[in-house]
Amino acid sequence: MSAATALTMSKSKQSDNDLFELDGDCADPSLEQGDFLLESPQPEGDATPQQTEFFLPDYDAETPENSNQMEFQGLEKPIHAMHVEGHTKPLQFHYAKNLLESLEAQGIQVHYQCREGYCGSCRTDLIEGEVAYLEEPMAWLNDGEILPCCCVPKSAIKLKLKD
Amino acid sequence: MTYQTFNRNKFDAFSQPMFFGENVNVSRYDQQKYKIFEQLIEKQLSFFWRPEEVDLSNDRRDFAELPEHEKHIFLSNLKYQTLLDSVQGRSPNVALLPIVSIPELETWIETWAFSETIHSRSYTHIIRNVVSNPSAIFEDIINNEYITKRAESVTKYYDDLIEGVSYYQNLGEGTHEINGETVTISLRDLKRKLYLTMASVNVLEAIRFYVSFACSFAFAERTKMEGNAKIIRLIARDEALHLNGTQHMLQIWATGKDDPEMGEIAAECKQEVIDIFKTAAEQEKEWANYLFKDGSMIGLNKDILCQYVEYITNQRLTAIGMEPLFATRQNPLPWINAWLVSDNVQVAPQEAEISSYLVGAIDSEVSLEDFSDISL
Repeated sequence: MSAATALTMSKSKQSDNDLFELDGDCADPSLEQGDFLLESPQPEGDATPQQTEFFLPDYDAETPENSNQMEFQGLEKPIHAMHVEGHTKPLQFHYAKNLLESLEAQGIQVHYQCREGYCGSCRTDLIEGEVAYLEEPMAWLNDGEILPCCCVPKSAIKLKLKD
Repeated sequence: MTYQTFNRNKFDAFSQPMFFGENVNVSRYDQQKYKIFEQLIEKQLSFFWRPEEVDLSNDRRDFAELPEHEKHIFLSNLKYQTLLDSVQGRSPNVALLPIVSIPELETWIETWAFSETIHSRSYTHIIRNVVSNPSAIFEDIINNEYITKRAESVTKYYDDLIEGVSYYQNLGEGTHEINGETVTISLRDLKRKLYLTMASVNVLEAIRFYVSFACSFAFAERTKMEGNAKIIRLIARDEALHLNGTQHMLQIWATGKDDPEMGEIAAECKQEVIDIFKTAAEQEKEWANYLFKDGSMIGLNKDILCQYVEYITNQRLTAIGMEPLFATRQNPLPWINAWLVSDNVQVAPQEAEISSYLVGAIDSEVSLEDFSDISL
């Protein structure tokens, strides 16, 4: 008898004494399967950590004027009346990152594309008032034209949209 | 007269017009006549991307499942894009570099053309991923009459300018006998050719490309060929910069401050420029007819694409101070804007690549708060 066969023999002998009986009773009676289980047994371990707090913005959403979103360097928080030719609705610049967002939020459709000041799609005529640029506009601007995607009003303004 | 790679003349760089002045000598950017070109270079460099960054494995499967007429739309569109960028990857260099006279503009032209070569490489990336025999597609760009017809109108102004400039640089102004033909070369005529070339390049970048983008995005709107659309988005972002550059050149000339003669030419050529736009719009409509010859696709058909051609032509005309040509005022494809925004809003970074990710950018702003948790 070779050594390898001897090894297998001793192994099978060991399993005979232990848990792994192919037929016969299970050594641990708690593992014996009942009819069926409604809930599968829970694995041991820490209970799943529950989310116990809500992650709300650190300002009161009800009073957006106190939010920190509206800080523009070197500018008062701009709140200005706006008027767009051909629209009778009173408009106001309020709580927006730039003029384009403010107009869109109030239902005025402006052509746009890059929203970063280089494509020039939102080019608009400024008839009255003043705007301040948050970043330098790169698109070509004629006198009296502004790029709403990268500016905010500095005073009450009157606009004429390109068609 | 002959081009000099390093001009030994002493001259004031600020007194030079954009083109047809002294050849550029020192590439210096500390003083700039037109800082917009420096800004464009900066922006273009910050946009740098590689086609291999975009995974196209899903597109291969999508493409195999497309019905035949949609395969035709997709491939024809891709062939057209390949043609346009093949032209744009070399022509600005060949046509404009020999005559440019200010260093920041010279570098912008090189940066511009370089980014077009990335676009060309990305078409190969797409074609290689989508079909098993790329040669058939590339060869058809030369053979297909619908494509070659368009190649002619895209390149004729460039070729005209290149020919004129080479005669001018070899022989100078005057009447010359060349290969048995009498050719009259005048600087003013060359400037005219340059102006018209720029108008036709503007049409290429601002209208022709956008019509092709509309088709690419129409597939992705139906969640088909999304990898392709992701690449086209990056290309569209670059194209917006390029057309900004051509619009600036056209507008600077029109003011007459850069070169008074160019100001006169701009006024003279107004009708010709409008005709270039008009012809291009007609050709794009014909192309739409060819694209949808075997059937429409969901979300896009010949009529809508033709309306988009009219809309975008109007937009580009008004951008260079011309009157709109067509009655269409509303964008017939409003969803295209979401694809053209340079920094699309997204909720989770894994959903899409952040296109504004700047390569080599450093935020050097330091506030007092940054040191709040440091104690000595």
